[in-house]
Amino acid sequence: MASVLAVIEQRDGVVKRVSHEALTAARALADGMQGTVTALVLGPVADTSTLGTYGADRVAHVTDDGLALYQPAAYAAATVAQARAEGPVTVVLSATALGKDLGPRIAARLSCPLAADVTSVTYEHGAVTVSRPVYAGKAVYRLRIAGTPCVVTVRPNSIPPLERARSAATVSASAPTEPGPAVKTVRVKEPPGARLDVAEASIIVSGGRGLKEPANFALLEELAAAIGGAAVGASRAVVDAGWRPHADQVGQTGKTVSPNLYIAVGISGAIQHVAGMRNAKVIVAINKDKDAPIFKIADYGLVGDLFAIVPRLTDEIRKLRAG
Amino acid sequence: MTVPGTFVPLRHQPPLPHHSLVVSEPPGPESLELDVVFVGGGPSGLAGAIELARLVAEDNQRGGGLGDVGIGVLEKGERLGDHCLSGAVVNPIAFRDLFPAMTDRDFPFGQAVPREAVYLLSEGRSFRVPMPPTMRNHGFYVASLSEMARWLGEQAETLGVNLFPGFPAAGLLVNDHRVVGVRTVPSGLDRDGKPGSGFTPPTDVTAKVTVLAEGTRGLLAQAYLEWQRISSPNPQVFALGVKELWKTKRPLDAVVHTMGWPLPAGVFGGSFMYPLHPNLVALGLVAALDGHDGDLDTHELFQRMKLHPVFRQYLEGGELLEWGAKTIPEGGYYSLPARRHGDGVVILGDAAGLVNVPALKGVHYAMHSGMYAARAIFRALKARDTSAAMLAEYDRLLERSYVMRDLYRTRNMRLAFRHGFLSGALGAGLATVTRGLLPPSRIVMPADAAVPRSAPGPSRFTPDGKLTFSKVDAVFRSGNATRDTIPTHLLTVDGVPREVGEFYARMCPAGVYEWVEGGLRINAPNCVDCKATDVLGPRWTPREGGSGPKYQRM
Amino acid sequence: MKICVCIKRVPDTETRIKIAADGKSVDEAGIKFILNPYDEFAVEEALRRREAAGAGEVVVVSLGPEAAQETIRSALAMGADRGVLLKTDIRSLDPLAVARPLAEEIRAGAYDLVLFGKLAVDDYNHAVGPMVGELLGVPCVTAVAGLELNEGRGTAEREIEGGVEVVEFALPALLTVDKGLNEPRYPALKGIMAAKKKPLEVKPVELAAGGVDVLDLTLPAERQAGRIVGEGPDAVPALIEALRHEAKVL
Repeated sequence: MASVLAVIEQRDGVVKRVSHEALTAARALADGMQGTVTALVLGPVADTSTLGTYGADRVAHVTDDGLALYQPAAYAAATVAQARAEGPVTVVLSATALGKDLGPRIAARLSCPLAADVTSVTYEHGAVTVSRPVYAGKAVYRLRIAGTPCVVTVRPNSIPPLERARSAATVSASAPTEPGPAVKTVRVKEPPGARLDVAEASIIVSGGRGLKEPANFALLEELAAAIGGAAVGASRAVVDAGWRPHADQVGQTGKTVSPNLYIAVGISGAIQHVAGMRNAKVIVAINKDKDAPIFKIADYGLVGDLFAIVPRLTDEIRKLRAG
Repeated sequence: MTVPGTFVPLRHQPPLPHHSLVVSEPPGPESLELDVVFVGGGPSGLAGAIELARLVAEDNQRGGGLGDVGIGVLEKGERLGDHCLSGAVVNPIAFRDLFPAMTDRDFPFGQAVPREAVYLLSEGRSFRVPMPPTMRNHGFYVASLSEMARWLGEQAETLGVNLFPGFPAAGLLVNDHRVVGVRTVPSGLDRDGKPGSGFTPPTDVTAKVTVLAEGTRGLLAQAYLEWQRISSPNPQVFALGVKELWKTKRPLDAVVHTMGWPLPAGVFGGSFMYPLHPNLVALGLVAALDGHDGDLDTHELFQRMKLHPVFRQYLEGGELLEWGAKTIPEGGYYSLPARRHGDGVVILGDAAGLVNVPALKGVHYAMHSGMYAARAIFRALKARDTSAAMLAEYDRLLERSYVMRDLYRTRNMRLAFRHGFLSGALGAGLATVTRGLLPPSRIVMPADAAVPRSAPGPSRFTPDGKLTFSKVDAVFRSGNATRDTIPTHLLTVDGVPREVGEFYARMCPAGVYEWVEGGLRINAPNCVDCKATDVLGPRWTPREGGSGPKYQRM
Repeated sequence: MKICVCIKRVPDTETRIKIAADGKSVDEAGIKFILNPYDEFAVEEALRRREAAGAGEVVVVSLGPEAAQETIRSALAMGADRGVLLKTDIRSLDPLAVARPLAEEIRAGAYDLVLFGKLAVDDYNHAVGPMVGELLGVPCVTAVAGLELNEGRGTAEREIEGGVEVVEFALPALLTVDKGLNEPRYPALKGIMAAKKKPLEVKPVELAAGGVDVLDLTLPAERQAGRIVGEGPDAVPALIEALRHEAKVL
């Protein structure tokens, strides 16, 4: 019988939220092929009981302490061993830093196709079918994978986790031994405090003259920190006024910043700024003037006092990230 | 004496920075040694490099003994063609001469010119006028100069020419009166001009002959002519052309030129609309820079012009693909420098002023000038003598050619418009009918910057974002992605008064200049290297390679 | 130190993308091709390691069409010593099909270090590097943002969600590098000229069919007109909902 193997990530003994997405994707696939879902948990995890609610029929747990941190060879060996035990199998991972590293290794060991960083995965006409964005998101491939085994990594935030009333049986799994680690992850350290480059960031929170004073940019810095992996940008006006460094300026000469999300706070959208950020995937504008030109190009707008809105937004996002 | 309420742009322009443009230091230790370096990867430089490479290859095959001749082309754009812009309707004669084994179908042209039409426009109306004989384009091709440059570049590379895109020349290296090469612009400087991340110092390139093929208002060409005190009967005068490329729903089946509206009285110029392909339309407005109105905003006039039915009927429902701007040297015969060669140097194409304004043509002249230069340089290399005396052959070839005949015949046609449209039309008409015999003597032209201007009034133009666009939106469409922290490359004089600052703001099509409370704000990264500023305002100098526009099919 | 760098010729993602007539690939007309930006960091790292070692060779390998020679030349212009083009016109979307011929070519070279950019900006697979590592059976670390090498051993730092992993490994090893590992140098004029004379071997290769079929390639939907979600701070939850489940960016 066909099966889907979902690789579950953990950090400090707790299942990561993003793995619920991988599990949801695995469940959808399994339903399509009338198969089962096995969740493979690598590393010690206190509570695996929720995995059933997100779609697992069975949970295979490799509890070895040596796997608390991501060890590429050992994780690959464990996953491949489980995959081989499953029969014809589709292996699903989240395209996190771990998944992007592990997925290719599994595919190479199983000598099978890999579809990476997909935004949707379904089972159609007897084959796994995926969509994946390419060319910096400017185009989308739809691909069909021939046969099994195969490996799919799912882009985080693409597949909303789906809960259902269900519980999973636990099966044991043991860590196969690999001859001496060729690569060893020794520890995880705190991310550097260095600010994210506006040109590289996938999320940008940008401020303009509406912030009234340089000190108020702290509001945006808090919002960016709450979101995580976000850079704080600035309109040309405030950079010229000396409030923010030149490096933060979102270009007005048409230099493309193309983040996934651009939040323009207190920026009127006078064309200088718009020309530089128009390639953002999603634009949110927060401004007290409902006629501000920025609302014409924003996907979502909030009209109102930014000094009330931004702290609330920071708050809600913190709750989201924690929960 | 200036009339109150007017100003003279020349008074607010700094002089050419000769200390950096003409450098008499010995070349640096990391210098690159070439035999011939072409400054500029446009049609004149590339045609010259191709012809020279071919002559050398053929000579070597015959056992001529020249051996390896290092030919290099320095181009300031990141890629060939990035800074090339023209209408254009091209006379294929130079392509045919350069590539005798190919046919027109092999050349990088759009479609052959279908029918043609010329209109006189008023606001809202148009009147078909008979085609002036100088403008007949039958047998020519609509083409994109950017594409031509890239194609020529490929041909050049197969002949072993070394192409160096991304390397602008900052100044001439000289030894006594001889030009011995050029120095390139450093890159990676921060806003204060100090080396930042990715700093690359200037490189010296030495060569037996330096070919200045920089295009309109070439900086090194200007510097050389001033340094060697080479003058021309009239100063060079310029027009500014602003151009867009549109994908249209409705096909265009004619090469169209218009005169009259929206150009104000006293401003020489006109518009063009050419089908590169039936649904790929290039259109633009060209306006001379010697008018008295400080108000002249060519970009704005062009935007308004597109709303006229003659253009609107094609643009409606279409999509703006690209925007760009460039000045055109319009002085013709009487503005050509007395000589276009010197010890170790020659000047080609637009940099020398080889443009036929009544025919709106310059590309084939540019290419032929490159080819003539190549022939002269080849002779000089064989004789191991690249002095002015040997390179004078270039000027002899040019002067005996159809290029000079054309320029002489049309020498007064543009100049006749100095005193207005009517006298211009009469003068030009006279010149046409007598095939250049009359008017006999030179019509005197002042330099554009010496013409007094009235103070500009406020602008009342609001772009609709569908057919008409603001300058900043337009610059976005030029592909300009210049680093925002680049040091400013525009040299100004302190204390520019308000009317002059506002004049700059109108003059510049890319929105580089803005008058804000407290003075002139310079958005240098916006600059698309059209050179209008160099003609009328702050002096232009080259910035790090790859700055400026990235024209695809302009 | 003998170092191999694998590079890829990719379209400049700043240019407009048009779909080709077959509906399954990009129309290449008018597209500017460049050296994959992540590979620039790999080439730079290789050059620095060779310089630090005092002696060695940096070999650039690319799998791609004839035109990829130009891309190899730009790496040679940066300072690499020689290049190898594994020539094929087939563009496979199955990373393993690409990894196999690369691994075979690299295996023969007995390199101390093999470097890749962590991903290619056209396909975004992030896969060929680690696959080659597996096929070669060498230690492999991906997305390296910090690197120390010392007497046959190395320590790499890689960014993960909310932290930095510190990983130790022994040479010979394969690493895929992330932006910010170093500052790639710009080729100097002399380097560009010298590159023309450096050896560039062209070897035709056969690419296996691979297990991935393209159904179609499409452009994402045009930006729809936006909407005002609400007024004031009370509209924030609705905004977050929209960003999470409608726009899927949060």
